Amino acid sequence: MKAFSRLFPLSVLALTSFVALQLPAQDWVHTGTNLGNDRIRIAAADLKLVGADPQTPTLKAAFDATLYSDLASAGIFDLVSKSLIPQAMPGSPQEISLPQWSAAPSNAAMVAFGALSASNGRLIVYGWLFDTRNTGNPQVLGKQYNETASEEMARTVAHRFADEIILRLGGGINGIAETKIYFVSSRTGSKEIWVMDYDGQNQHAVTHLGSISLSPRIAPDNSRLAFSSLGRDGWAIRMYSLELGRTVSFPAGTAGGSNLSPAWSGDGSKIAFSSSRSGDSEIWVADSSGGNLRKLTSFRGPDVAPCWNPRTNAQIAWVSGRTGLPQIYTMDLDGANVQRMTDGGYAVSPSWSPNGQALTFSWNRKYGPGAPGGQDIYYFDIASKRWLQLTHESGSNDYPSWAPDGRHIVFERAIGGHPQIWSMLADGTEQHQLTHTGSNQMPNWSWK
Amino acid sequence: MMDLLENSDELERELEPKLAREAFVAPATGSLLLHGALFGGLVLYSLVGGLFHHNFWGSPGAGGAIQVNLVSSAMPLPADQPPNNNVLATETPSQAPAEPAPKTKQAVDETAIPIAGKQVKKPQQQTAAKTQQHQPQPQQDNRAQYGEQAGSSIARATQAQNGSNGPASITAGDFGSRFGWYVDGINRKMATSWYKPEVDPRTPKGARVFLTFTIRKDGSPTDVQIDRASGSTTLDRSCQRGVQRVDTFGQLPSAYNSNTLKVSYYCEY
Repeated sequence: MKAFSRLFPLSVLALTSFVALQLPAQDWVHTGTNLGNDRIRIAAADLKLVGADPQTPTLKAAFDATLYSDLASAGIFDLVSKSLIPQAMPGSPQEISLPQWSAAPSNAAMVAFGALSASNGRLIVYGWLFDTRNTGNPQVLGKQYNETASEEMARTVAHRFADEIILRLGGGINGIAETKIYFVSSRTGSKEIWVMDYDGQNQHAVTHLGSISLSPRIAPDNSRLAFSSLGRDGWAIRMYSLELGRTVSFPAGTAGGSNLSPAWSGDGSKIAFSSSRSGDSEIWVADSSGGNLRKLTSFRGPDVAPCWNPRTNAQIAWVSGRTGLPQIYTMDLDGANVQRMTDGGYAVSPSWSPNGQALTFSWNRKYGPGAPGGQDIYYFDIASKRWLQLTHESGSNDYPSWAPDGRHIVFERAIGGHPQIWSMLADGTEQHQLTHTGSNQMPNWSWK
Repeated sequence: MMDLLENSDELERELEPKLAREAFVAPATGSLLLHGALFGGLVLYSLVGGLFHHNFWGSPGAGGAIQVNLVSSAMPLPADQPPNNNVLATETPSQAPAEPAPKTKQAVDETAIPIAGKQVKKPQQQTAAKTQQHQPQPQQDNRAQYGEQAGSSIARATQAQNGSNGPASITAGDFGSRFGWYVDGINRKMATSWYKPEVDPRTPKGARVFLTFTIRKDGSPTDVQIDRASGSTTLDRSCQRGVQRVDTFGQLPSAYNSNTLKVSYYCEY
């Protein structure tokens, strides 16, 4: 009896588990908001040719390729591969059959299409963006471009159309297809400032000083270019007017000592730079006209490479070597509220994200002879002080610079001592090499 | 005395097996009955259960993977989620009395044989022309409604058709059906700007806070208000901050001919 009463709960347990096994298993699917940010599935149809001008096929090819690469590198789209899009080439809203595009295999939620014609030296492009799921009211965007017929212009028009699409679907953030990247190149023998489109096309020199020019920084309104250059009096901050096509004076940047790494404030009214005129290298701020100069830091040890918070224009991040190895610090514009960001290693070249929330910089977290790890680009969230490594085990990476959309970063990567310019998305994916000839360094992404 | 002792011995010998038998039989029968009942219950359960068709996931009939197609994109279906949880409705009935029920007509027996000499009131024949002159019967929508959502102007079917089943909903007009891509954009933007780790982890899963805010022509949100709190202040505040963190949702579509857009949005923990 006793044995039975001891066994009774056990047998009940065994029975209930047997019953539980017999029950039909219920499945649970957990889903909800904020579990991921799906990219928009978009298809870019090839433009339809209108007219028989012999120039049109080359223009069309340039447009199609540029639009495709712009949308692919925007970072917000899941672009339908060219091999999956329908064969039909719609040239107008009447010709497009939306079910064709929304069905497998393209499964596009959005489709960009249009028509191109060239006549009498004019290039006319009609472009539309349609929402394939909204059959009643599909048009999201309709554009017409009328420009001089040239391959360069076809590419520009494609950039503009891509920017319009990205602006509509990317939550009001302007596309970067028309932005430029300024960089230092030594392919002519001396280190000069060069410029290229954001995708690496159309590279050409800006300065021809025959000296050494470094760290170009373009003004927010694209009117002037500040850089440091080696002259008779040592390193000076110089200013190049892109409107006048010549260097203009910047008196604050020419006093004795080394003046290096200028940085524009987001409103274009001030320039911060490092200068050793007072003996030690410190951060100085001047008006963009060159007046009203004042010193922000007074610490022992070098203070270099300032960059502004472009959102508030009231904070500066910079590199300080007060504790030995260079570290990233931030401070307010009056030099107060100094905060150290990095906890060790060798951290240089900060760049502040356009929304003001994050920094990106080059960091060697295990610095020293024989230490593992290399110089890599990091994303650093200022509020939480958490970071994310963006580059891994490929060359020595330095000089990151944010794109104005806050989704892209351009940086310098040296593999085997040959520095080249690369760009990537701000999460470290889709890294592309932009330059291939000569040695190219210190990229700076324009503000618009 | 010896006899007595012998007798008592005999009595004990006689009683012992009986007692032992009695102590064993009753629980054993009970146990047998219980097991029998449990087994019978199991058999009955499996028999009854077998009568109904169970749809197991991955059962041999289903053949492994199932492709799920979104039907709502093909045909206008009513939204499968409850239309709107965020109803400002009262649980108590309104004080206004319901309309009186229409008086029932007195039944007239047509088959009755008329009694001679008695005037029979003939039922008034209502002609079609006469009914036309009548006021149309007022719709029942002037009744006080409670406990459910009043008839709203949202075309639910069209909203679902646009795939904008996300947490944002446009409270008036046909914006959702005309510019589904913009509503999708709000959801996408909010998904990146709402930081879930800010919420107290003790918040129950599935808790929702409903916000309303206005999007200006340039896309900037304004007038962020909690419409229905979730009960967790951290969730309420994180959702509110998520909206405030957004600089712009993108300029309102140029084809939209109003200056502002009223949005209802929920954050679900």
